[in-house]
Amino acid sequence: MTAPQDSSGTGRPARRQASETAFTLLVQGVLDYGIFMLDPGGHISSWNAGAERIKGYRADEIIGRHFSTFYPPEDVAAQKPQRELETAVAEGRLEDEGWRIRKDGSRFWANVVITALFDEDGVLRGFGKVTRDMTERRAAEQALTEHRRLFEHLVRGQEQERQRIAWDVHDDTIQSMVAVGMRLQLLAGRMPEPYAAELAQLDHTVRDAVTRLRNLTFRLHPPGIDRHGLVEALTSHLSDVVESWGLTHSFEHRIDREPSPERAVTIFRIVQEALLNVHKHANASRVALSLESVDNGLLTRVKDDGNGRPLDPTAYHGHFGVMEMRERAESAGGWWSLRSEPGAGTTVEFWVPDLPSTSEDDVPTPGPAGDGASPDAAAGDGTSPPAATGDGASPSPAEEEGP
Amino acid sequence: MTAEASGPKAPPRQLDVMICDDNIMLLEVLREVVESEPDMTVVATAQNAEEAIRLAGRHTPDLAVLDVRFPGGGPYAAREIARRSPRTGILAFSAHGDSGAVGEMRHAGVTEYLVKGATNREFLTALRRLGGRLPKS
Repeated sequence: MTAPQDSSGTGRPARRQASETAFTLLVQGVLDYGIFMLDPGGHISSWNAGAERIKGYRADEIIGRHFSTFYPPEDVAAQKPQRELETAVAEGRLEDEGWRIRKDGSRFWANVVITALFDEDGVLRGFGKVTRDMTERRAAEQALTEHRRLFEHLVRGQEQERQRIAWDVHDDTIQSMVAVGMRLQLLAGRMPEPYAAELAQLDHTVRDAVTRLRNLTFRLHPPGIDRHGLVEALTSHLSDVVESWGLTHSFEHRIDREPSPERAVTIFRIVQEALLNVHKHANASRVALSLESVDNGLLTRVKDDGNGRPLDPTAYHGHFGVMEMRERAESAGGWWSLRSEPGAGTTVEFWVPDLPSTSEDDVPTPGPAGDGASPDAAAGDGTSPPAATGDGASPSPAEEEGP
Repeated sequence: MTAEASGPKAPPRQLDVMICDDNIMLLEVLREVVESEPDMTVVATAQNAEEAIRLAGRHTPDLAVLDVRFPGGGPYAAREIARRSPRTGILAFSAHGDSGAVGEMRHAGVTEYLVKGATNREFLTALRRLGGRLPKS
């Protein structure tokens, strides 16, 4: 520092005083933070506008009183204020979040930092205390958490219902129709014309309906997602459904571990919707799907070589589909984006976190009625590795090209 | 290869078939489809894995038609049938066409797989191929 010579005598103190005054004004004027000081015994010795706004006391009402005034009775009974000062002395500072009491007796959720202030000789001179009112943020966070919780409930309920319908159709309707079809064929072989032809035609109709029902159950509940995992379910979807649309497809996956069942369903449903959009709107000939572990989550990309026209937002399905994809990703705590380039195709990209969860894993995934109870399902499937290796029960290679 | 395909006069031995499905309607129609063929006989039907395994041990049929989603577990039943009656060829017959279900049965040693909804002719062709009466596909 190039300070003027000491000979002037008054220069430095004057400037220092000016800067201290400015600093005092700053501290006193800040409205978003309650900033005040406590003496070594915990009595309030200074006050600012923010503290007045948050706690409701004017300086002349509060200075000299003990800071435990701000704590709820249960905290005072537990000697929390005293312990917080002791911790601040021992560790230099203390940060806490919790309920505090305003002058009018109402509570607010506070973030508090207490800093112990020592002089040059190491003697405790008091404490600095900075308080922020987090009530609104806390309410907003809780509203968001609640929103996500509700959405997850909704998704889970919807998936369970779809699965139930899919199994019912599979186990009952399809079987009965297959039996009817086989009997019609038997009859057709025993009857003279024109009945034989008519029966054969009936059988044809029944078998077409069986195919449509089977496709419906695939859409309702991705086969194998709960037993064989996400990669297997996506591979099946590409080969069973996307291929039937005449789309060439590729699938690259590098995932560290199988995501939780909820996450797997989230990812599957978004990919399913994105692929449906490619089929319906993009006029594409090939689609590339990729899945990789990134930042404690999964990054998924669905890229087509179609016309790259943005989805018509007025078209009900297109709009709803986009909303649903985004909602699913964001509710899972991730993000979702769509890029369209005319002539170069459309890319849907999304990331969802997948940290090992504590609560979600407790929810059992209902298995199929028959196989779920079998000794095979218990012993055989439990040991199958993540499908990324492409061996064992999974017929899918790491990268799969359509015809 | 079996020996009975030799003499010009000797008619081929009947193929003994066991049918395993928990859906009664299907069980009945499958029996009828098989019975209406001159070269096949249904020797047993089963509606759950335990029954299927027991009957396979008693009859050691040439062929077993086995539902994949079978009470007691299709893949489990397949493994046990193969253990009790190694000569039995198993045709997995399932409402599931997805590759997961196919892989599961393949893992249990089943080589013939047919999705329900195939025609009677396709069904019989698969049985004869498995019984060694037709060239392998």
